[in-house]
Amino acid sequence: MRKNDSLLSKLDWPLFISFMILVFLGLATVYSVAFNEENPSIFAFSEKYGKQIIWLGASFFIGLLIFLIDADYYSKIALPVYISVLVLLVIVLFMPPINGARAWLGVGSLGVQPAEFAKIATALLLSKYISELVVKFQTIKTVLTACLILFVPALLIALQPDAGTLVVFSSFLFVMYREGLTFDPIILGVLNTIPGIKFKSTWLGNHFIPVLFVFLFLCIITLVLSNVQFHLWGFPNNTFQGSTGVVLTLGSISLLLLLFIRRISSRRDRPRMILVIALGFLITASISLFVDKAFSGLAKHQRNRIELVLGLKEDPDGGDYNRNRAMAAVGSGGALGKGYMGASVSSIESNHVPESETDFIFCPFAEEWGFLGSIILVATYMFMLLRIIFIAERQRAPFNRIYAYCVAMILFYHFAINIGMNIGFAPVIGIPLPFFSYGGSSILSFCVLVFILLKLDSQRIDVL
Amino acid sequence: MNIANRKYIIVLFILVIGVLYSLRLFYMQVIDDTWVLRAQEIAEKRKEVLPPRAVIFDRNGLKIVSNKTYYNLMFIENNIPKLDTVAFAKLINWTPIQVRERFAEIKEGEGVYRNKSSGKKTPNYQKKRAYPFLKELSLEEITNIALHLDNFPGFYEEVTSMRSYPFSNGANILGYLNEATRKEIDEDRFYRPGSNIGRSGIERFYEKELRGRKGIRYVVTSAMNNPIESYANGKYDTIAKQAPGLKLGMDITLQAYGELLMQNKKGCIVAIEPESGDILAMISAPSFDPNLLVGRRNISLNYPKLVTDINKPLFPRPLQAEYPPGSIFKLVQSLIALQEGVITEETGFPCNKSVVGCHNHPNASGVAQAVQYSCNPYFYAVVRKIIQQRKSKNTFTDAEKGLNLWHSYMNSFGLGKKLETDVSGQRPGLIPDSKYYDRIYGRHQWAFSTIRSISIGQGEIKLTPLQMANIAAIIANKGWYIEPHFVKSIGDSGPLPIYQKKNYTMVEAKNFSAVIEGMRRVVNEPGGTGSAARLKDIMVCGKTGTVQNSQGEDHSVFIAFAPMENPKIALAIFVENAGAGGTWAAPIASLIIEKYLLSKISDSDKEKRIIEATLSNFNKP
Repeated sequence: MRKNDSLLSKLDWPLFISFMILVFLGLATVYSVAFNEENPSIFAFSEKYGKQIIWLGASFFIGLLIFLIDADYYSKIALPVYISVLVLLVIVLFMPPINGARAWLGVGSLGVQPAEFAKIATALLLSKYISELVVKFQTIKTVLTACLILFVPALLIALQPDAGTLVVFSSFLFVMYREGLTFDPIILGVLNTIPGIKFKSTWLGNHFIPVLFVFLFLCIITLVLSNVQFHLWGFPNNTFQGSTGVVLTLGSISLLLLLFIRRISSRRDRPRMILVIALGFLITASISLFVDKAFSGLAKHQRNRIELVLGLKEDPDGGDYNRNRAMAAVGSGGALGKGYMGASVSSIESNHVPESETDFIFCPFAEEWGFLGSIILVATYMFMLLRIIFIAERQRAPFNRIYAYCVAMILFYHFAINIGMNIGFAPVIGIPLPFFSYGGSSILSFCVLVFILLKLDSQRIDVL
Repeated sequence: MNIANRKYIIVLFILVIGVLYSLRLFYMQVIDDTWVLRAQEIAEKRKEVLPPRAVIFDRNGLKIVSNKTYYNLMFIENNIPKLDTVAFAKLINWTPIQVRERFAEIKEGEGVYRNKSSGKKTPNYQKKRAYPFLKELSLEEITNIALHLDNFPGFYEEVTSMRSYPFSNGANILGYLNEATRKEIDEDRFYRPGSNIGRSGIERFYEKELRGRKGIRYVVTSAMNNPIESYANGKYDTIAKQAPGLKLGMDITLQAYGELLMQNKKGCIVAIEPESGDILAMISAPSFDPNLLVGRRNISLNYPKLVTDINKPLFPRPLQAEYPPGSIFKLVQSLIALQEGVITEETGFPCNKSVVGCHNHPNASGVAQAVQYSCNPYFYAVVRKIIQQRKSKNTFTDAEKGLNLWHSYMNSFGLGKKLETDVSGQRPGLIPDSKYYDRIYGRHQWAFSTIRSISIGQGEIKLTPLQMANIAAIIANKGWYIEPHFVKSIGDSGPLPIYQKKNYTMVEAKNFSAVIEGMRRVVNEPGGTGSAARLKDIMVCGKTGTVQNSQGEDHSVFIAFAPMENPKIALAIFVENAGAGGTWAAPIASLIIEKYLLSKISDSDKEKRIIEATLSNFNKP
């Protein structure tokens, strides 16, 4: 049969194999963490690893169904899927809370979290909307509509509350950035009111999303430095605050740029360039000062929380318990690890690291396999993410490309935040590590996410 | 800019995170070992396992100090769902208020953490940690409670080991244990809060030999602090090792008999085997049952009673009481004079009662007779000859030289200094030298006539009963002694080197025969002051002493050794405020000698009289 031959030959094997490697490592880690001597079989369905196998089996079965559905169909079912998920997200708000959040539909181990599937539905609908636009994805109306598609499920998830998934929804901003999202209409609307200035586009407007994240980073640096007293010889009082330091640094960079202005711009561009540098300095400096002020204006417990996340304060047995235990587990793995099933800090029975089979599953993995395992894991994720972007860029159909970017950015966010909180780089917000963490909904949703992509890619030639 | 190029920015983001995380992981896992230490702190607990303390045996291999199992009733607050205080109080025979107070006490007391460097105390009570609710319960006590513990989840029993004294004798000598003080814990890492440490006597002196080696188990513990498994399959664990038993030279039967004889009296008995320096018995009267000071509960109950008892049972008299020796001191004076050649065995002095009082007896025509009659004027003359040897023309400088010479003789007899006995809390006694009198009278302001009362063992002279017994041992050995000691052997190692060395006095063996003859006469000849010590089958040599003192009636003293040929026991008996040495101390000595050498008592009337006597200075409760 021609169809079956083509399925195997058209499957993107690099992506599929990296996916299978992660699934396998994940299952092995769940087995190690949750191992129960009384039920050593990996198919012991009363144990977590047995349940994980069931969910993986279900995922692959659904994957098979996905491969039987024609690729065209996914853009068509996007809206109905999106609406049904919204309905589920509303229903779930009326369920009894588990661990303080109304996130679960159904009971016990058969429960599902609609929020996990909301990511797929949103990815599909966003892809459909942007790909079917006749105008550029740059008008205010189109951008607002796209934002609305994100905002409705995000709001419902925020009500559960589930901060982690909410954060993951911001990953779609990068997808929109790739599809041409620009903030020029707003920025130009302000800038061009200044007499003598007539810009057609700005660099800031074009790259607003990445710049936004760089700015967030700047804010964090300011906060980290805000508690530090600088000593500078020659100053009257000799000391100044950290935020002042950031402003001074930005100021010196601007001055340097102005001094070398001949080198970086032509004579014609010079007035504009000076203006850009001056504005850039003013904006960054005021953000920096604002963050500093805003921070000291925060309530004490909020400030504590931020200080803990940024590592400005130590409280290893109190507010920083989870992160401290997780880092101890990861760090104690050493170069080669403690050996499979050898985790002592993050084993489930010792319970030092909470949720070591779900959100903190990187702990037992890194503790047992050490730096060697960790670097293999990071490299596999890197390979997978870059492969998905490669796949995205080779699509003819915009729907496929946008969807592939959605997959890449969702996985990237989960990877970055989850690993980040295990190594002290990110605040502890509970989101699973894709293909690793124990849990039916997350395994199922990540597998489906990837299977749909594989299916779309396998039929990329068919698209006109 | 072409929109498609934006993919590079996104790829850059992903790569930056990937590289950043890889570097961070490399730093955390390979370079920095902070987290390895942190993980050990969190999950790998050192559990210390204390071995039972070493057992102590007497010279015949009888167990005199052993260990007994006790139980602590522990609790972990987190594991107590809801405590029925009334039912629980009923189970342990307390009132509910007491139960609540005990919980409060634990939280404020035992839960307090003290910072070693700053000394600051902070409350550190942790609900997940185990604390003892009741300590040191006996088997019967815990059995009654344990039967119903199922109704009180969160409580469980824990086994501990404490001292036990099967013979209830020798309390002052064996010593007792109590909880290590903060200072001791800081100085020696062996101890933890609540650890026991030898507080007095042999328990204290041999603390390091008795405590054994701690075992250390490395276990992986859970966040609830429960052990889960042994770390690395026990590769790094060490096993707790009980120290080898201590074998004492003490004869516990003799010790018990001595305590029986001394009941209702104040004073002491010290018996030494002259040849080896083994202390056979050391009785401090009154004594107490050492089991009274076992464990915190007993100590807090009984210690205040013992410490306030006006008979001072806690005072280890043989080691710490410094008494004037009285006439027994004349033996040493004779030996020094003979060695110095200021007299010969045949030198006689008249009993001139105008110099010092004496009782009626014939004039002594030699050293042996002088000892037999215990003639005071005779020894005035003898000691004058020692102190004033006319080596210097000035009487005062002559006395200074003479006294210092005499002082070094005394030191060679182990007097005026602490003996190297293996027990803590000894006193040195007092043998004055020239500096001592210079401080009182001024330099060159005194001569023999000023200090003459030292001749008959009165005045400034102070000896401990242990030193007195050692004099008897020296005479029995004709000139040497081995430092008196309790421990014959640690395990099978034999006596310590220090207890194998003969210490020679400055008096040669040939000068002892006259004094020994005198001591034989004291006991065995008519007119001897110690006839009450006479035994039919054993030749006892002894010397009585009757010590005047300001506290009332004279102290009764007797030192002796037996048998005369090849002596096996040397001893000192001191009975406070009992009267003449021949009346009380001498008969006690004979009973001890007979008991030790023959294991039977020939004169049961003598024994009965001694046992039943209650001396007037003894305060019966």
